[in-house]
Amino acid sequence: MSGTLDRTKLLAARYRAAIDRPYLATALFSITVVESARVPTMGVDRRWRCYVSPAFVARTPVPELAAVWIHEVAHLLRDHHGRATRLPPGTGDDHYRVNVAQDCEINDDLVADRLPLPADRVEPRTYGLRAGLVFEKYLQLLPKEVRSVDCGSGAHGVDRPWEHDDPGGVSDVEAEAIRRDTARQLRSRGDVPGGWRRWADQLLESKVDWRRQLAGAVREAVAWASGAVDYAYQRPSRRSAALRGVILPSLRRPVPRVAIVVDTSGSMGEPELAAALAEVAAVLRVVGVGGNRTTVLACDAAVQVTRSVYSAADVQLAGGGGTDLRVGVAEALRSRPHVVIVLTDGFTPWPDAPLERTRLIAGLIGAQAPEPPGWITAVRVDPTLQ
Amino acid sequence: MSALDGADALIAATRAHRTEPSADPRVEALALAVSANLPVLLWGEPGIGKSATLQQLATGLGLPMETVIASVHEPSDFAGLPIVGDSPATDGVPMAPPDWAVRLARTGSGLVFFDELSSAPPAVQAALLRVVLERRVGSLQLPDPVRVVAAANPPTSAADGWHLAPPLANRFVHLQWTHDPRTVARGLAGTWPAVTVPTVRPERARTSLARARGALAGFLTARPGLTHHLPEDAESRGGAWPSPRTWEMVLRLLTFHYSARTSTSALALAVAGAVGPGAGMEFVSYLENLDLPDPERVLADPSAFELPGRGDRQLAFLTAVIAAVQAEATRPRWEAGWVVLQKAVDAGVPDVAARAAADLAALREPQWPVPATVDAFIDVLSLSGRLPG
Ligand SMILES: [Zn+2]
Repeated sequence: MSGTLDRTKLLAARYRAAIDRPYLATALFSITVVESARVPTMGVDRRWRCYVSPAFVARTPVPELAAVWIHEVAHLLRDHHGRATRLPPGTGDDHYRVNVAQDCEINDDLVADRLPLPADRVEPRTYGLRAGLVFEKYLQLLPKEVRSVDCGSGAHGVDRPWEHDDPGGVSDVEAEAIRRDTARQLRSRGDVPGGWRRWADQLLESKVDWRRQLAGAVREAVAWASGAVDYAYQRPSRRSAALRGVILPSLRRPVPRVAIVVDTSGSMGEPELAAALAEVAAVLRVVGVGGNRTTVLACDAAVQVTRSVYSAADVQLAGGGGTDLRVGVAEALRSRPHVVIVLTDGFTPWPDAPLERTRLIAGLIGAQAPEPPGWITAVRVDPTLQ
Repeated sequence: MSALDGADALIAATRAHRTEPSADPRVEALALAVSANLPVLLWGEPGIGKSATLQQLATGLGLPMETVIASVHEPSDFAGLPIVGDSPATDGVPMAPPDWAVRLARTGSGLVFFDELSSAPPAVQAALLRVVLERRVGSLQLPDPVRVVAAANPPTSAADGWHLAPPLANRFVHLQWTHDPRTVARGLAGTWPAVTVPTVRPERARTSLARARGALAGFLTARPGLTHHLPEDAESRGGAWPSPRTWEMVLRLLTFHYSARTSTSALALAVAGAVGPGAGMEFVSYLENLDLPDPERVLADPSAFELPGRGDRQLAFLTAVIAAVQAEATRPRWEAGWVVLQKAVDAGVPDVAARAAADLAALREPQWPVPATVDAFIDVLSLSGRLPG
């Protein structure tokens, strides 16, 4: 069945969506409607154009159409196409599969919000998965064979034959402004579903992944340590002989020493500790601090073990209380490190004053970890952020 | 003809490329910041067409370009080399500047590109940043018209990601330099996007500056918390964040934007590159709202205005117009309101104006005749199942 688009019905549905969920009005009305006989139902592109099948509009009741509008705008607000391009290589090759994972991320919230989505929707339940995850996670969890869903390049990021190529519509920058505006409206209301609220919080607080924070703190400390002395005019450089009258500096670039102190007592979870250690190890490797420049100490009431090679498996979590990390830090300072990285649940006394020639970084594991003194660079290792 | 002549001709052919006009706001933002003579730091993986783009930009601006690959240099290449003369005690020890700096000083203008900044040893970086910030190379002062662009790998890059100290980060316009794979594919096929150089119109200079100052003052008065905000985490501190220094950079960007009429997207990227994405986006939204037509003026002459192009701004504008009618509901204003709403119908988006229409209809006094425009909204409202009582 074909025919011309019942634009009034389609826009009445958008109006219904915007009136029922006013926090989405800005985003919904930013979408441009494009009639298309080739799009299966409705689909969006990267520039916030919505391609609409006249047949789909004709056969779908207004309340369902309104729910589909919200579904489409959710792809755009959640920047699904941007995130799809950042998937690890090899994982996003099947764009239908990516699209199904994205629909799972969207639809669980919409169903919980009692929106009457069409009966052939996919949601986490369809595949026996739990609700509330991000699409990157669903992509890993989905079974091999999934339905082929196509919400357009605005979702999975791959151009579709029915989409326009011209640069009209909403630009990336405008899209970001619309997202922030929507997030702010969401946060100022009480009647918002949890999924949307989490999205808004994450967008506005720009919660940085703890891995990046921890890596950033370690890099910064190492850069500081290795920048202390590098080029010097003290010894003549080999180039000097060739240039009369010119004094050339010579390169002295110390590789910093790093000590890692692991709090083995308390309430730390093994997986979080392993993840934090792995992250620290990876950063140190990248910045060129090898195993021979690194010391690892496992510490509870008294320092039990000292190792010069580390891996997560080597650290035994002893459990029980009574940590005093000052003992561990003092022990670590004997190797004269430039940087000390402490991984702890935070329930410990800390040294009274900044260390003289050493930077101290604390990786705080567990949501309840108390804040260390201000002179310590603290990073919260938050297991809920993957 | 020697064997190598053929080879060289072939190599020259692979380098030759055409350009096509493009609306890449990232390139435009770069051109805007460089024109405004603000130091730019491009964050991106190596080898994604930074040099080619900068060369085009330099050519467009009529500037000679000097490329200095930081990672293969020593600090002396930026700080200058001490030269001991016959009597250093009386003459002092001058620092001899490197050749590229001498060339720039002689020409009096140019674009200097420091590539691979993050791969250089710390002392090289420190010396180089001194060039950027103090515009000094050894004993030589870089002329004011010389533009400076540097490139570094992002902190998350596996190769040699890098952190900039917050005070230094605060001196740059930070631009993310990633290329759309499609652009690269097209470029390798022989066509790269052309760089459009913003043309500053001198006759607009004065009003542009006044307008920019007014907008900035208005925004920072409304959002004083954004005047200075050092981010919590190390990574963000090494990027763009709001401070009086970076807002001053925004003032210059905005002045250039007004006087050269660059696109809003380019301005938004450049502003976000100076004060960070959060503050930058808020500022740009604020500017967009400033640009909405004044409801009172529109109601006074409803035939002469233009409906904003994007739905969200249409909504904001129509809401403001109806609020103005509600504040003073006379028959001429009420009727003018309907003329305004008719524009939304003509634009094919009656749903954007439907709520405004319902609100306007509710203000009707019994003796006022119902305008024909109402019909366009009745269908949308009743079909939606949300027709107000
Ligand atoms: Zn979808």
